[in-house]
Amino acid sequence: MSDRGAVFDLGYAPYDGERRGRKGAIRTTYRDGLFRVFGIRRRARKKILPWMLIVLATLPAIVFVGFAFLLSTFAPEAESPFGSHADYFSITGVTILLFVALAAPELLIPDRRSGVLSVYSSRPLRPDDYVGARAASLLTVIAGFMLIPQTLMYIGFAALSADGFFKGLGENLGEIPKILAAAIVYALAYAPLALLVSTLTKRKAAATGIFLGIFLIGTALGASLVQATSIPGHRYAALLAFGEHPAYVRDWIFDRIGSSDLVVASSGLDPWLSLVAILAVAAVSTVVVVWRYRRIM
Amino acid sequence: MGDTSIISARGLGHAYGSIVALHSVEFDLPAGRTGLVGANGAGKTTLIKILLGILRPTLGSATVLGFDATKQFLKVRSRIGYMPEGDCLPDDITASEFLVQAAGLAGLPATAARQRASDVLTLVGLEEERFRRLGGFSTGMKQRTKLAQAIVHDPELVFLDEPTAGLDPEGREEMLELISRLGGFGINVLVSSHVLGDIERTCDWVLMLDGGRVLRSGPLSHLVDADMVEIEVVGESAALVSELAAAGATVEVSGSHVYVSSTDGDPFNIARDALAATGTGIWSMGPKATTLEDVFLEGSGE
Repeated sequence: MSDRGAVFDLGYAPYDGERRGRKGAIRTTYRDGLFRVFGIRRRARKKILPWMLIVLATLPAIVFVGFAFLLSTFAPEAESPFGSHADYFSITGVTILLFVALAAPELLIPDRRSGVLSVYSSRPLRPDDYVGARAASLLTVIAGFMLIPQTLMYIGFAALSADGFFKGLGENLGEIPKILAAAIVYALAYAPLALLVSTLTKRKAAATGIFLGIFLIGTALGASLVQATSIPGHRYAALLAFGEHPAYVRDWIFDRIGSSDLVVASSGLDPWLSLVAILAVAAVSTVVVVWRYRRIM
Repeated sequence: MGDTSIISARGLGHAYGSIVALHSVEFDLPAGRTGLVGANGAGKTTLIKILLGILRPTLGSATVLGFDATKQFLKVRSRIGYMPEGDCLPDDITASEFLVQAAGLAGLPATAARQRASDVLTLVGLEEERFRRLGGFSTGMKQRTKLAQAIVHDPELVFLDEPTAGLDPEGREEMLELISRLGGFGINVLVSSHVLGDIERTCDWVLMLDGGRVLRSGPLSHLVDADMVEIEVVGESAALVSELAAAGATVEVSGSHVYVSSTDGDPFNIARDALAATGTGIWSMGPKATTLEDVFLEGSGE
């Protein structure tokens, strides 16, 4: 080995490799959205809440399957007291509501407040691409929240089936489109509205509060108006109970409207009206978010 | 110029309601380093936003690197970088992560983005700080990070909006040095600034805007006026001024500076003879160098 050193001035190396243009920009925006929602590459305190909610959403499914295993082992003739796929949406519905209330502001507000949006504006990215990529990040997370525990339950219960695993899978095939449809309904009910609220304020705490307030206050107001008045058409006040629409449509999908104790159900509203309300709010929210970002990007 | 220019405007205008920000401007900017100067409200930011495809012009058109800035803005943005004047840094991630993201947004694959981020942070002198969160950066470090994100994808052209804003003298020197080096990397530069001295130091072309109109678009070398001699005198200049006037020269005096021009002969020869005749001591003598400030004040009628 030579004992003489050498100094290299590396200077500036031009880049002549692959450039993925708009597709690459969209992919980066989407991936950054996922990292941000889960607090990945952020401080530890930004990871606590999302991962706690993930555990809350998934743990019951593991517990359900575990208890079902114990029951099938020690008391095979007993009827399972554990919930169905439809019931599990009640658990994840609340968890996902909280998660979306925290995630949507995290996706949109810091970019505007810190000025990073001007960097996005100088890259090969349309405003619609930015909004679409951020929405896709949120929808991916919601889909994960909704479908991973359901998949665990589906596979777990099939594994415990007395007729064997594959027969167990086949017996419940009809549940799969219902699970997917219900997950889409919850996603449409939560995500666009949460993104809209996050577009209209620059404070994350305010966005979270306003979003949760719309669901909680709207539902309480709708219930009181339905019960306290008797003017013709008062039952339509139940449309204000926005927190109940996804659950009502879920019950419709799983054919359990008759057993529903929701305000919207007791008011006598048809479930398709709840679906229309969800779609209308989602459509208006999407239009306003896109319009707003076309103005500022 | 049209064929070799990297940025062109033809009848380019923009109005915010009844307020006209740009009045049908026309210019061609060559490759290299161009300074965009003008007071607040001159139309600099509006022009940059049009060139980036963020704003649609209400009149005319602009081309950047041969692409229509409005209709082909995605192609333009794939080839340019932009350092905004205001904040553009998230405070909760590290410089390295932000640069990787900025490179990814320009379309670079993940591996290349990481490599470029590391290289460019070294180039701007932030290699030691690359794993620190941006929220803890000083103003100078933030400005260098902003420059780094603008060039991390090796653009053909970079727009720098007030790159020395908020910097202390040392930081300003470093930033101007970096900007001067960009040309050597094959990156064309459009620097927007209201600090005329910065433009004089870093650029070889200037586009001057005033009230939404082009005051001047030309090379900075033309600012040196070879037809006028500037003499800085030691002590009294009265005898020298009388001698110059007697020789038929036109003389202007400003403090210790005497400016000499003549239609009858070379002003250098006339000045030399007058200095010899009067024995006047001088600090310096040479062609009058017009500063950007002179041109700007003259053009804007102030």
